[in-house]
Amino acid sequence: MTELALLLSLTVLAMVAVAGTLATRRALLWRIGGAAKVDWAAGLLALPRRYLVDVHHIVGRDAYAARMHALAAGGLIVGSALALLGLVPALGDIRLFWWLTALAFAAAFAGGAMVGRRRYPRRPARLSGGRFQLLPFLLAAYAGGGFLVALDASLGGALWPLGCAGLAFAAVGGLGLALQIDRGPMRHAFAGAAHLVAHPRPGRFAGERATALAPLALDTPRLGAAMPEDFAFNRLIGFDACIQCGRCEVACPAFAAGQPLNPKRLIQDLAASLQPHASNATYAGSPYPNARPVAGVGGPGLPIVGIGAMIHPDTLWSCTTCRACVEECPMMIEHVDAIIDLRRFQTLELGAVPPRAALPLMELRYADEPSGRPLAARTDFAAGLPLPLMATRGGADILLWLGEGAYELRYGRTLRALVSLLHKAKVDFAVLGAEERDCGDLARRLGDEAGFQRLARANIETLSRYRFARILTADPHALHALRNEYKDFGGAYEVVHHTAFLDELAATGRLELGALSEARVTYHDPCYLGRYNGEVDAPRRLLDRLGIARLEMERSGKRSMCCGGGGGAPVSDIEGERRIPDIRMAQAMATGAGIVAVACPQCSAMLEGVTGERPAVHDIAELVLMAVERADAAPARTAEGVA
Amino acid sequence: MRIAVLLSAGRHPVSGRPAPVPVELQALGLALGLSDEVTGLHAGPDIGPLRDALGHGLPRLIHLASEAEDDPVPGLAAALASGGFDLVLAGRAGQGGEDSGLLPYALARALGLPIVADAVALAPGAAPGTLIVEQALARGARRRLVIRLPAVVTVHPAAPAPAPFAFAAARRGIVDVQAGPSAAEPARPASEERPYRPRPKLIARAGAGASAAERLKAATESASGGGRLLVAPSPEEAAGEILQHLRALGLLPGR
Repeated sequence: MTELALLLSLTVLAMVAVAGTLATRRALLWRIGGAAKVDWAAGLLALPRRYLVDVHHIVGRDAYAARMHALAAGGLIVGSALALLGLVPALGDIRLFWWLTALAFAAAFAGGAMVGRRRYPRRPARLSGGRFQLLPFLLAAYAGGGFLVALDASLGGALWPLGCAGLAFAAVGGLGLALQIDRGPMRHAFAGAAHLVAHPRPGRFAGERATALAPLALDTPRLGAAMPEDFAFNRLIGFDACIQCGRCEVACPAFAAGQPLNPKRLIQDLAASLQPHASNATYAGSPYPNARPVAGVGGPGLPIVGIGAMIHPDTLWSCTTCRACVEECPMMIEHVDAIIDLRRFQTLELGAVPPRAALPLMELRYADEPSGRPLAARTDFAAGLPLPLMATRGGADILLWLGEGAYELRYGRTLRALVSLLHKAKVDFAVLGAEERDCGDLARRLGDEAGFQRLARANIETLSRYRFARILTADPHALHALRNEYKDFGGAYEVVHHTAFLDELAATGRLELGALSEARVTYHDPCYLGRYNGEVDAPRRLLDRLGIARLEMERSGKRSMCCGGGGGAPVSDIEGERRIPDIRMAQAMATGAGIVAVACPQCSAMLEGVTGERPAVHDIAELVLMAVERADAAPARTAEGVA
Repeated sequence: MRIAVLLSAGRHPVSGRPAPVPVELQALGLALGLSDEVTGLHAGPDIGPLRDALGHGLPRLIHLASEAEDDPVPGLAAALASGGFDLVLAGRAGQGGEDSGLLPYALARALGLPIVADAVALAPGAAPGTLIVEQALARGARRRLVIRLPAVVTVHPAAPAPAPFAFAAARRGIVDVQAGPSAAEPARPASEERPYRPRPKLIARAGAGASAAERLKAATESASGGGRLLVAPSPEEAAGEILQHLRALGLLPGR
């Protein structure tokens, strides 16, 4: 072992000591967070799989980033570990060992070079600057220096002048990296690992969608999150895990529309609040678009939201809860949960909902309907169509949940199509009629957990009085609430979306479909069906049965873009530069489709609201009814001809 | 400034469920804009969802428990007289009960206080013990008055919306239940109850062949009661005008 190699090993040891101290200091800050149930043993055991499979799956969507990270992180960890092992005399004297170490550092150097190539000469807008711009140089110095020292050691000290220079580089780069561990880019390494172990939604790694919001106990002294300590400790770890890659801001519909929300910045503001006497000044990524001015100060015991704090309330209310940021996050951070926790405090404790959102919440409280309309009028859309009532039938095979869209004239046409199809397929179904209350989705997303829980309990009580096998609904928001969020209040139901149900009817031959051959159709995935519930195949299968040309938008399936209608965003109505549905409609038009197929009353309303020359908007149920009527018409004509 | 806000047992106009009366919550909003010393007062058998007023920012609610058929006026008058309030705020009319809007007048008479109707904004006056009231008049007109306190003021639905409901504030707020004096309501004339049906608006017809502008004018101005607008008239002139108007309506013996 050369003396230079020994010094490299000691440098790595010093690095580990510095990084360990700083990381521990940061980790101690997490203790201010609230308690959370975490299965540490299972999490630790699952860590390699979560990292190598689940995280890689997301990172791998950007092949360059995946290769870059594999080389830089893999090379850095292996090279440093080997250099440390070199302190063991039996190993340190083997030349081949140092040759392997040099190889690992070479890989890390290549990764560092890729980091540099991505950031220089022009840094993409989604990546943060500041300390992050220093990262490629530190990586290159440490890895390059390490490589030279190890190479020199593998040759028995033949290259000692180069080795000396290498050691200097390695020391500077290595300590530079280690000093970044608590607040700089390297924080994601240890916080990310801890986040994967103690993830608040472990189901996400077990193949579940795990998208239901956690219920809030309404007797807790402070409802929702006002200060950093109101978040559970594993949520705080999650904020620290952010590497500021900016994939969330690219996916965020509110960001695209110029509303003052940037998920990356939000998570950074939350992470910054953890530090006593915190300020948001070091953030060097893209700002909140059209940012409303805030003081930008915070810390433990200080409020997070407010003009005099870190985050402006308009930022919170811009979110459509579409989960696109969560879907894109390679560190698997739960942005939407954080926003809902903050909203809960604003709504339940301060009553600080956006002015236009106060009225729907009030009407929900006293009339169980956000617009204060009579519950009995929900079935008015079906005038002239037989609509069996649960109250008179006592039970049915299928309970048809109508949802809020039923009151709306445009969506009433969709529901009429669905009801007609159910009659044609001779489905045994019934509706609750005046007994159906709002499902509570709007209240819950606006942070009114008390209102949601009251509605959920009342609906569960109503549903318990009737006999049915499955609930059918055309509203993905109701589907998500009934299927995933009522469980916590004792309501477990098999809920099926109308696209899946119609697909089932067509597959079993209960619906005869004709061909809509001339139509070019693109399908817009509702967030609450695709991303929240993973149902992206059934609607496409159903569309393909209609014999149409199906075109895909650039963003589709689980990575689809929101229409702007979720999370109470239409009633919060935060001003931006563009409208989200206009952006989405432009994406639909880019496919050259003549029809945008939708499967949600919110999407239908938002996309129908786009003005100017644009494709027609039809719910899949309407398209299926057209196809069924075409199939009916064809044999009827031949029958007449024979007669 | 000590303010009492009268809260009545209302019903949601569509669902028919017990609910606070929106205009009374607006009165509460105006009160909280003036002072922190605001007390809610309700006389009736059950507090029900009036608790929710606490969620709209009311710090304290006094419930004068009484029977449903009791007259609320004596109990409220006693509580208001002993409470030493500078200002009593009420809604223009209840919602879902008799909705006659007479209770504030009956209270003002019982307390011997002046009453000003249909406030949409309140502000403390320049002189101590005075209040600036912005009053809503027909067709969007506003009138600013300065009144001497104590007084009873009713609030118009055009007043600003109340602070949104906060569940935790409703949970924290205090309801103080006191026994209200039992007083049988004076016998009412027998009346008939019918579901409310909005009356069709009477639209004046413009003559045949009238221009679009004339028809629009006829349609939009039909609701106006006519009369003359006098700006800052002398008291004598104003009194003369009122007498003349009453005479024209046949309400005063002609001279």
